[in-house]
Amino acid sequence: MTDLQYRIRDYRQRTAPGAIAIHVLGAALFVAAAGLFWRGSGLFGVPLLGMVGLTAVGWRTHQGETARGLTLLAAALTVSVMLLIVGYLLVHARDAFEHMGVELLWMLEGPFWEPPSPEGNYSLTPLLVGTALTTVIATMVAAPIGIAGAVFLSEMAPERVRVVVKPGVELLAGIPSITYGFVGLVLVNQYFYAQFQTPTIASYFAAGLMIGLMSLPTVVSVAEDALSAVPESMKSGSLAMGSTEWQTTKSVTIPAAFSGVSAAVMLGVGRAMGETMAATVMLSHSKGIPVPFFDVFSRYGETLTTVIAQEAPNATGGMHESALFAAGVVLFVSVMSLSIGAQYVEWRMYRKLGGES
Amino acid sequence: MSTIDDTGVVAGVARLRNATTLPTMALSLLTVLMGWLVLFQQVGETNEYLGLPIVELFAISVLVQGLAIGGLGVASYVGALQSTSDRTAGLFTGAFVGSLWAVVTAVLVTVVAGLRMVYWPGSSVWIFSGIPVPLGILLSLLGGVVGFLAVVLPREDLGATLPVSALLVPLGMFALVGPLTVPWTYEPGWTTVVFPGSEVLPFAFFVTSLLGCWTLAKISEGFGATGRQRGAYYLIGVSVAATLGVLGMLVYFIVDKGFATLSTGASFDGWGGRLVLPVVDWAVPWFDANLPFVFNQPGGLFVDVPGVWPAILGTIWLVIGALVVAVPLGIGAAIFLTEYVERGRITQLVEVVTNGLWSTPSIVFGLFGMAFLMPRLSNGGRSMIVAQLVLGFMLLPLVLITSREAIISVPDEYRDASAALGVSRWKTVRSVVLPAAMPGVITGVILGVGRIAGETAPLLLVFGGQPYPSTKSPVSGGKGILESFSFSLQPPFITNSALTERGTALPFQLYTSITAGSSPKPEVFSLSEFGWGTALVLLLVVMGFFAIGVASRLYFRRKLNYE
Amino acid sequence: MSEANTTQTEDASQRTTDDAGGAIGGSAGRTTTGESEERIEDHWRNYEFAGEPKLSVEDLDVYYGEEQALQSVSMEIPEESVTALIGPSGCGKSTYLRCLNRMNDRIKSARVDGSVQLEGEELYQDGVDLVELRRRIGMVFQSPNPFPKSIRDNVSYGPRKHGDISTGLLPKLLGRDDTEQREELVERCLRQAALWEEVQDRLDDNALGLSGGQQQRLCIARCLAVDPDVILMDEPASALDPIATAKIEDLIEELAEEYTVVVVTHNMQQAARISDQTAVFLTGGELVEYGETDQVFEDPESQRVEDYISGKFG
Repeated sequence: MTDLQYRIRDYRQRTAPGAIAIHVLGAALFVAAAGLFWRGSGLFGVPLLGMVGLTAVGWRTHQGETARGLTLLAAALTVSVMLLIVGYLLVHARDAFEHMGVELLWMLEGPFWEPPSPEGNYSLTPLLVGTALTTVIATMVAAPIGIAGAVFLSEMAPERVRVVVKPGVELLAGIPSITYGFVGLVLVNQYFYAQFQTPTIASYFAAGLMIGLMSLPTVVSVAEDALSAVPESMKSGSLAMGSTEWQTTKSVTIPAAFSGVSAAVMLGVGRAMGETMAATVMLSHSKGIPVPFFDVFSRYGETLTTVIAQEAPNATGGMHESALFAAGVVLFVSVMSLSIGAQYVEWRMYRKLGGES
Repeated sequence: MSTIDDTGVVAGVARLRNATTLPTMALSLLTVLMGWLVLFQQVGETNEYLGLPIVELFAISVLVQGLAIGGLGVASYVGALQSTSDRTAGLFTGAFVGSLWAVVTAVLVTVVAGLRMVYWPGSSVWIFSGIPVPLGILLSLLGGVVGFLAVVLPREDLGATLPVSALLVPLGMFALVGPLTVPWTYEPGWTTVVFPGSEVLPFAFFVTSLLGCWTLAKISEGFGATGRQRGAYYLIGVSVAATLGVLGMLVYFIVDKGFATLSTGASFDGWGGRLVLPVVDWAVPWFDANLPFVFNQPGGLFVDVPGVWPAILGTIWLVIGALVVAVPLGIGAAIFLTEYVERGRITQLVEVVTNGLWSTPSIVFGLFGMAFLMPRLSNGGRSMIVAQLVLGFMLLPLVLITSREAIISVPDEYRDASAALGVSRWKTVRSVVLPAAMPGVITGVILGVGRIAGETAPLLLVFGGQPYPSTKSPVSGGKGILESFSFSLQPPFITNSALTERGTALPFQLYTSITAGSSPKPEVFSLSEFGWGTALVLLLVVMGFFAIGVASRLYFRRKLNYE
Repeated sequence: MSEANTTQTEDASQRTTDDAGGAIGGSAGRTTTGESEERIEDHWRNYEFAGEPKLSVEDLDVYYGEEQALQSVSMEIPEESVTALIGPSGCGKSTYLRCLNRMNDRIKSARVDGSVQLEGEELYQDGVDLVELRRRIGMVFQSPNPFPKSIRDNVSYGPRKHGDISTGLLPKLLGRDDTEQREELVERCLRQAALWEEVQDRLDDNALGLSGGQQQRLCIARCLAVDPDVILMDEPASALDPIATAKIEDLIEELAEEYTVVVVTHNMQQAARISDQTAVFLTGGELVEYGETDQVFEDPESQRVEDYISGKFG
């Protein structure tokens, strides 16, 4: 508390009275606008316009302080967007959690999904299985080949190949997922249907392959950055002791960049998990747990993301919509934990390279 | 060479890169390539070359590789070939070859013994003191362990060769004399899917030849550290090339098939035409060309070739809206977090959350827009403005991250120098820090835009309207967004009907052309033709953004390095 | 486009290999090539020593692309002694050092002509096993570059990579575990590098947590662990403070009892303190004088060397 008081006194001493007035007035107007917007009133534009006018005045009289206020506002808005997203997901998902309890996540016998009945079952279990299957297949494609690709680019490829392939990989990382989905639907699904006689023209396996291919460039790109961050002097040290380049890569470069490489894989897994369009287009949208559960060619095909994309546009509120938000929450939590995990290991890598054990 | 003492620095072993290994390696590389081509349907599995069906040629190749590998390994072990073999072939080789052994055992177990692989109703179970053990899995694990031990226990020249040879030789033999032929099928039992020989065999030949190539590369350098290096380079090089080939083929498919659609009815009549710029409606000199798929409406009475122009406009407007939202917010927040706040817990937390937000699935943003923004901005309906905001929020973390990185990387000396001249903090930021950070910010924003432009999932929830809107603007009503602003003295003073209506955008258009079930003009384009065309236009737009982003980064980096 | 690229990489590689030569190196290099007669005139007399040379270099020329970094250098290096290479920045002494274990092979644009022999065996010929070569000629770099591993793993890295010591899961399973041998080796090398007392209680700590001087001694220990004949040191103390420098210098003198040490240094006093013989390179990559250290410093034959040593230029 004393710290806060000190800060306030410090602020008042350092800031001109006019600037303080602008700050206070701006804050008040912003709170008013936000409040009106929150309540769904179309009048929120009025205080917003007031803020624009205030900013114009402030910019002329106290530019530095106004800029400071504006950047603070931007930061606050950014943070509140994050909070709003989390909050709204949770609020809307609450009904489904209360209605289904543990069975929302763990339910082995159908019926799993009975829209639009408000009393029916809404269990995410088959969707979790679907997400797990596609993610595992995608990871099995993207992780080994992605790491191999990164090693190739950063340690083996001649400079001439590198300068072409590295931007090329980044370009590939930008291909929209719907494009992959379209190709997957028209070519890959057809192939498995025709050659392997899959029960429907869709399968987790085909979707997983496509998603893996899609997250591959991300893994390559991030892992390559990590490998290139290992200082050249470390590699020279190993080579000068008579290790081969490959031994150096294997025993010095990769271990030194290990955290970065695993962060790349985790990011790739996160992307695969959150991938929506390719899966939506390529899966059959029938919900159920395959028997055995790892039968990736079964007639079932729905994941946490595809169910939202497929059903949310037409959901009519109530329990069905809430269940979709619950799927969103599960998705958000999983991807967020992967992201935080990836950041943690990456942070550890740079600390380690920086000399702390 | 052999006259020199063995302890000298000149290699005492005759490198085996000679008459035996070189042709065999060439053979295995060729097999890898052909296997890849057959696997991806570029070469028919029943084609004949040299008077033999391609599968038999594969079989012979694998057989030869297997025999050569085994022979050379034994030759090295008995001393007929000089080598620098290690004591063991290593864990990685062991795991790789061992897992292949496990797979082969699993197939054998199901095919020969008729056991089912998984412990599931109907599988063969061995009861061990009351505990049911699935026999199929047990046996295949056992096969894997045996393979692993066979690799790691003996000296390298045996361990790296014989277990490999034991995979290659039987495969080649059975493929040559049966039963592993094209009509052969494999039913694993845990799934209803049938694995046909026509697809499984090319895959098996591809994998085994890759294995063969790896092993031969090791042999050619006489095993040891140098041998492993060469082996690893071949293994990684070939796998990376194969994967790049797949990705390249994917792009090629889109370009190839999309181009046919894109060029339908296209003509070029020299310069002298006019192009009315979207958004601002200015006419600028342009070549007199006709690209109906790009510039036409998807439907309507007077449209001969349906096109994606409204979708292109929609994408442009979405990107503009997202930029208006994300760029000032992101840069402002980045400035605040780096210039006005001490680096510490708070900034770290924001950083973690921003990174998390950047990897949050786009569909989650869509849900948020649907629940929070739609009721407040467009009376619960899908609309352009909500889509712009949602995409802006998606772009926000990236703008924040890249701007922050760029601002942090501006050396503190600049700030100190400016402060030492008595310049206030904000003026320093404005005139020193921001200009120095701008390249990084611009690049980040362009890359982000590339991603936003191709984003589809949230559009399904907050934007998408009819599959093929037939009017000029991205929204119905015929008026563009700029003309739709209307002012009044009643609150809320400014309204824009165009912004609160549904529309279409390129990625959404592609999605609808998949799901709509019918093409706007089936007599001109089939559904998938329209789709391929849309995919190509989308790819060009997105790749354009990415290419600009990557190029500008290279440009700025080079400029930075030179100065 | 590709042409521009090549020159660019060449420039970059030159900068990294040699000390940041800069203006002095460039301009002075031009002078010497211009006055090639003088070069012959004050060529050093052949340095005679008893016994076989460990390393003998004959007519060694090195080019980075078009630029010549070494001009027909010939010298013989006696065993179990310290040979110092001194000279101004950009004179090619680091380039020369890196030729001795073929580390210059790493630089694409570098071209080496001439002969380097290790105990009479030519290093620049087909079929040379770089692994074996670098095992016998170890190297310590300008700035300490330990691996981000534990101290123990750093020291035992070389022997493990060369298959002399195997530890870990697989060897344990196969019953070929050499943990004891490794511990002995680690202790012996760290003692030799005068580091044992300081780190014996924290062998499992990350080596990057050591101080600069300790890191450099660890790098020396790491180099000793592969049991080389020759140790090349590229300004091993230039990144260290005076106390750490003194320790490294003592260490070098001790090492000379068992190993042939070739050390590049920027610091003439250091060369005078630690070396048995000194070679002076001057700009343009020319070996101007080579002889016993006392003699080179007190009574150099070449006028240019005298100028350099007395601080008139360089």
